[in-house]
Amino acid sequence: MIDTLLADQTDVLYAWLAVGCAIAGTAVWRFVGVVLASRIPADSPLMGWINTMAYAMVSGVLMLILAHPTGVLATTEIEHRFFGLLVGLVVVFFTKRLIVSLLFGVASFAVAVTFF
Amino acid sequence: MIDALRAPCYALGMTMAGFSTIAREAGLDFWMALVTSLGVWGMPGQVAFASLYAVGASLVIIFIAVSLANMRMLLMVVSAADMMHLGAHQLPLWKRVFWMHFLAITAWAHVGMAEQKYPSHLLLAYYQGFALTIFTFGIGGTILGYFLSDFLTPDLLRFVIFITPIYIMLMIINARQKANRLAVVIGGCLSPVFFPFAGEWAILLAGVVGGSLASLYSRYIAKWHLEVEA
Repeated sequence: MIDTLLADQTDVLYAWLAVGCAIAGTAVWRFVGVVLASRIPADSPLMGWINTMAYAMVSGVLMLILAHPTGVLATTEIEHRFFGLLVGLVVVFFTKRLIVSLLFGVASFAVAVTFF
Repeated sequence: MIDALRAPCYALGMTMAGFSTIAREAGLDFWMALVTSLGVWGMPGQVAFASLYAVGASLVIIFIAVSLANMRMLLMVVSAADMMHLGAHQLPLWKRVFWMHFLAITAWAHVGMAEQKYPSHLLLAYYQGFALTIFTFGIGGTILGYFLSDFLTPDLLRFVIFITPIYIMLMIINARQKANRLAVVIGGCLSPVFFPFAGEWAILLAGVVGGSLASLYSRYIAKWHLEVEA
């Protein structure tokens, strides 16, 4: 009885410590970012480089979510997910309208998943 | 704020509801899932955390994996602070850190869009309204998702979760500067290629390699333009 109680408490402690680690692991980057931001001159080549890396990294995260998703999105086919993305990109390329192309992209994904 | 009340807040709320579902499956209780959303506020890191927690990974591994998945925060904070001319607002350090806590992909991408519409001194106010709105919806999504995941059909949920990545992708591919658009294309192509052998490092690699290639290319093009003009 006491053993299980102790074990439960260790589990809860581990869980909260894990939450703390996740928070710290993110907060450290935001903090360093704030400190660095005030030291890098605007419109410098370095700022341009940081920007392109930020864009490339965000794009990389999104493509990984689409290529190797977790949770319910993993129950869909990769072809369907990229079909939806492709339709969205084509529509935004021609119309330049964000919401319209988002609707087209998600709708074609839904159609592909449902009927193919 | 009005911008936020259109598509992004609902999609993000559902994405966070999606996180809650994963967190619950992983064995986190409600308060842990809520504190994770409040304190981390960065989806890829949260998902990495929940999946590692589920397999009982060590605290060090959790810290490293979440840091890796959310490393882009560093670049996004620097880039957003630059766009908003944060330095010109003369905020004390703790206020800058406080406001940047709400910065994640959606808000960052929207500041980039707003930069093309509004003068830069208004961007901080735009960001504050926008980020707080989607933060509220995201936290609401976390709370609802934890309890409603049983009632929402997965068939419907997966369409809604699909919205956020597509939305952000369409937004960043329309970045104002050509170099940034090129970076989106290269980074997006590289990360799935790197993933099989690099795992979580793939994002970092794709960011550094893709960003550097895009920067180098655009500088080369810029020089080439100068030569034509001369």
